[in-house]
Amino acid sequence: MSVAPQSYQLSDYLEKLPGTTFRKLYQQPSTAFAIFRRMLPPLAKVFVQALLYMPSPLLLSELDVWVRPEGKMHRDRALSILRSLHIIQITPPGRDKPQEIQLTTNFKNSLRLALEGGGTHNSFGVPSKLPVDPKIDIAHLDNYARKKWEDILHYVVNSVPVHGEGGGGGSGGGPKASVKELLLAGRLVERRPDTRGGVGITQAGFTFLLQEANAQVWTLLLLWLEAADHTKAAAGEHAKGPAMPDSIDMLSFLFMLASLELGRAYDTDALTETRRNMLPALVDFGLIYIPREDPRQYLPTRLATTLTSSASALRSVSSGFTAATANNPGDASSLGIAPEATSKGSIIIETNYRLYAYTSSPLQIAVLALFTQLNMRFAGMVTGRLTRDSIRRAIGFGITADQIIRYLASHAHEQMVRAAAATGRPVLPPTVVDQIRLWQLENERMRTMAGFLFKDFDSAEEYLSLSEYAEEIGVLVWKNDRKRMFFASKFEQLRDYLKSRKKAE
Amino acid sequence: MVRAIRGVLIECEPAIKSIIVHLDSANNDIIIEDLDETHLVVKENMVQVLKQKLDDRLKETYRPEEPLEDSE
Repeated sequence: MSVAPQSYQLSDYLEKLPGTTFRKLYQQPSTAFAIFRRMLPPLAKVFVQALLYMPSPLLLSELDVWVRPEGKMHRDRALSILRSLHIIQITPPGRDKPQEIQLTTNFKNSLRLALEGGGTHNSFGVPSKLPVDPKIDIAHLDNYARKKWEDILHYVVNSVPVHGEGGGGGSGGGPKASVKELLLAGRLVERRPDTRGGVGITQAGFTFLLQEANAQVWTLLLLWLEAADHTKAAAGEHAKGPAMPDSIDMLSFLFMLASLELGRAYDTDALTETRRNMLPALVDFGLIYIPREDPRQYLPTRLATTLTSSASALRSVSSGFTAATANNPGDASSLGIAPEATSKGSIIIETNYRLYAYTSSPLQIAVLALFTQLNMRFAGMVTGRLTRDSIRRAIGFGITADQIIRYLASHAHEQMVRAAAATGRPVLPPTVVDQIRLWQLENERMRTMAGFLFKDFDSAEEYLSLSEYAEEIGVLVWKNDRKRMFFASKFEQLRDYLKSRKKAE
Repeated sequence: MVRAIRGVLIECEPAIKSIIVHLDSANNDIIIEDLDETHLVVKENMVQVLKQKLDDRLKETYRPEEPLEDSE
């Protein structure tokens, strides 16, 4: 009965921002472009593209003509997303005037600029005119980013209390103190005096570990943005400090980084002072590289340039782990959009729930220990069993059965993959897969979902219109017409809807 | 006036629900709204506590077998 693992995502963060923040964000072409690229479902993109060069607002009823009647739900979802990101404006429903739709001014102008080029916004970075050390090639950057990110993962994973001598011995000194603080503040780990290293992993930390790398990077960056906001709020009370970065500027800087070209050096002098102050932290995360000899240049790594590309282009959780667990430091291709061929599976699992993993990587062993009862360790191999208790414990940590199954499947030893292909059977023994699912069901006696209960409506009509709207935008979870109550997963848009409805009356 | 109350929606079997209602009856500090046979809204900060209590309660009555005993 675990809570659905709540990973902190960019969309959740953006949705909470007020409209004024979006207006500021959209002053940057790179931001508008990044949001368009990453955050929108296909239909929403179609709408934006159609509206982009429209000289005057479009009647909402005309938009309906573009969408087949059976696609109404997709249309409503798309509009709801566009509205929550403040990309479109829709005039409130009035008695005398039909509803009109148009792009918000800043977004429209910035996206046009991004597409057409031009302007002096420097929003897509200024390439450095200084010569770049030829040693700093893409392989070097990949290697560097991998090392940095691996350190962070090691730090989180090493906070897992492992039985026996499974974990431990992470490489090097781990991430910088500031990164550790961030992981603490974001409650991915928490201080526990009884563990090695003084910190223990939290449920959020487990979810973090099993996320795909891109989601991991964003999780950490968003924690960073929030921490900056807190610092600013705390300091801003008294004095107007010099050039404190605010989260809006930081966010648009991240979007800009995402638009840069891998392997190219950019000019730090072209950055504002607040942005220059952000560089050390970004170096700690492994998002950028600054040559030691010449701090006037910065080079984005693959972690940065893939921030806003579509999720499918990014390394999956499996190759993410392969990247992090690869024992070959020269194998730079295992990071980023590397071919899947580099991820060599190591796990054999038998129908009797016994598991053998041919690995000596502390990170992978620690990950296995999350859901396996490990029994023996040999040079280059560990053995263990999946048991009801070990799976139960993992689920208690917030790991789902599907995550475990996916992990096992994507890390299956090539021998298993070959045998399965030869006989036309699935890679993992079906009994084991089913049993893992059953163990999870056994623990999930209740399903939970955070959100908001709406009640005490003034009239049946008010109830009906709001609950129908909630259903249209896809936030309705439960309703009871007789009791006039409903439960919604989000409330911001419903609140706005109520307000605009009051106004229209 | 319409109100929006933050909480966690729980969906479960009627039997589990009756245990939750029973747990709540001690202090009335868990449930915000009893919706129907299989749904409840509870306080966000009580979810973990509730799970723990429910687990303890179920352990008293329910002990499934390991599907396969190992001989190691």
